[in-house]
Amino acid sequence: MKYMIMMFGCVGASMQTRTPEWITGLHHLVQKLDAELREAGELVAGQPLVDPSRAKTVWFRNGAPVPTDGPYAEIKESLAGYWIVEASEARAVEIASQVVAYTEQPMEVRQVMDEPAQL
Amino acid sequence: MTVNAAHRVEDLLRELVPQVLGTLVRRHGQFDACEDAVQEALLAAALQWPAEGLPDRPRSWLLAVAGRALVDQWHSESARRRREQTVTALDPAARGPAAGDPAAGPDGAGQPTDQDDTLVLLLLCCHPALSPPSQLALTLRAVGGLSTAEIAVAFLVPEATMAQRISRAKQRIRTAGARFELPPEPERAQRLGVVLHVLYLMFNEGYTTSSGPALHRADLTGEAIRLTRLLHRLLPGEGEVAGLLALMLLTDARRAARTDADGAIVPLDEQRRELWDTAAIAEGITLLTSTLGSVPVGPYQLQAAIAAVHDEAPTAEQTDWPQILALYDVLAQVAPGPVVTVSRAVALAMVHGPTAGLALLGTLDADGRMAHTHRLHAVRAHLLERAGDTAAAHECYLRAARMTASLPEQRYLTLRAAQLRPPAPPADPAG
Repeated sequence: MKYMIMMFGCVGASMQTRTPEWITGLHHLVQKLDAELREAGELVAGQPLVDPSRAKTVWFRNGAPVPTDGPYAEIKESLAGYWIVEASEARAVEIASQVVAYTEQPMEVRQVMDEPAQL
Repeated sequence: MTVNAAHRVEDLLRELVPQVLGTLVRRHGQFDACEDAVQEALLAAALQWPAEGLPDRPRSWLLAVAGRALVDQWHSESARRRREQTVTALDPAARGPAAGDPAAGPDGAGQPTDQDDTLVLLLLCCHPALSPPSQLALTLRAVGGLSTAEIAVAFLVPEATMAQRISRAKQRIRTAGARFELPPEPERAQRLGVVLHVLYLMFNEGYTTSSGPALHRADLTGEAIRLTRLLHRLLPGEGEVAGLLALMLLTDARRAARTDADGAIVPLDEQRRELWDTAAIAEGITLLTSTLGSVPVGPYQLQAAIAAVHDEAPTAEQTDWPQILALYDVLAQVAPGPVVTVSRAVALAMVHGPTAGLALLGTLDADGRMAHTHRLHAVRAHLLERAGDTAAAHECYLRAARMTASLPEQRYLTLRAAQLRPPAPPADPAG
């Protein structure tokens, strides 16, 4: 089964009060986890996204699509990056827990829907 | 076969690719079909040559195998071929009855040379009807001889995506009615400019990835240098070709010092200069001196000259900033633009102090072209830091960090910001 592990927030919001050591520690943790998931063959996909403040949201207003600057959700609730892993739910939760233990920020784990293979 | 010998086979194959493809397209037309056939021949060679040794005439071997692949393709798709032949715009220019006949005779006298073919191929792959990502991909495949899978890895996209991108690109070229011949003289300089820009993008894509985890992907920088070297051999008199090659060599020379063991960015003034590649620097400087003064000076030559001044400084403190500023002044005349202004502001700050640099940056605030790049904010942050305005520098570093799409740069900028803060209070557990 595949699970998407989602991280939220943005550089401005979560990094502003952190020490250089804390930031370096987070980078090391994420890099190490990423490498482990890759090596174990658990990682299906994963990408960090640019800061949510750079998002555009396309609204439907007065009968037409209207793009505006900024994310749909609040910045700290906006998607910042994700991993998709081939693993059990327990394992996916365990992976997320390793990051949450460090950042003290929530992460979401959600199963990816099955779809027939594309030929 | 030793690793070295395997490398030699690969080098030879990659060198022969544009020649073989050029010959094939001249004989048969149909750039897209020929391109696929050459890829098949490359694959066959990569399997056979290391095991059985080099054939006596590698080029003829590849031509024969590619020719057979083309015939097979035609047999299996003969109905489709007839349909395509009537619409194909890419038949060989001024070609006689041999077009479409795989048994066409050997190259006769008065034939265009391999050199011409390679240049025509480059110009074709960098056709203005294609988007830059397509130009890059097609150039890497048709001229560089990389497989679709290799190109997909370099650009971090699925192979199916890259295959589709390449096939669409070839389709577009056909639709645009491009011919396998040199563009008419009035267009040529402009078309060569596009080729140089594509090679420049290829180098940059590899050197500072616009996205993705690693700061430089050596394959793309290496390939960009190889292809630019090839172009320089074809057009030794073109100052900007030499300039671009010199710029790449002088920039790539610092590669080993540009990141630390963790993959984090090391800024130029903190790099361990003993790690710089002195051979590449020497080659770049030789190239540059051979062209400077002898031709009208262009932006690539000027950027190379600036890189050379940096590379020649034994320490960051000994950098000849007045010389760099003078070169930026010329560059701002020859190729004005906001990106040049930002770099010039750095040189200005180094010569006349951070306030002068900041004042120049201020002229860019209203420039919409800079609205989506982090570089203006990053440079401003550096200058504010040097000017002692820590609070504003901190804010600017964070703003730059929010804007960049490069993960290593984001890390670097976030760290610079954090280093400017007084020791932080204990983190608020509620976030």
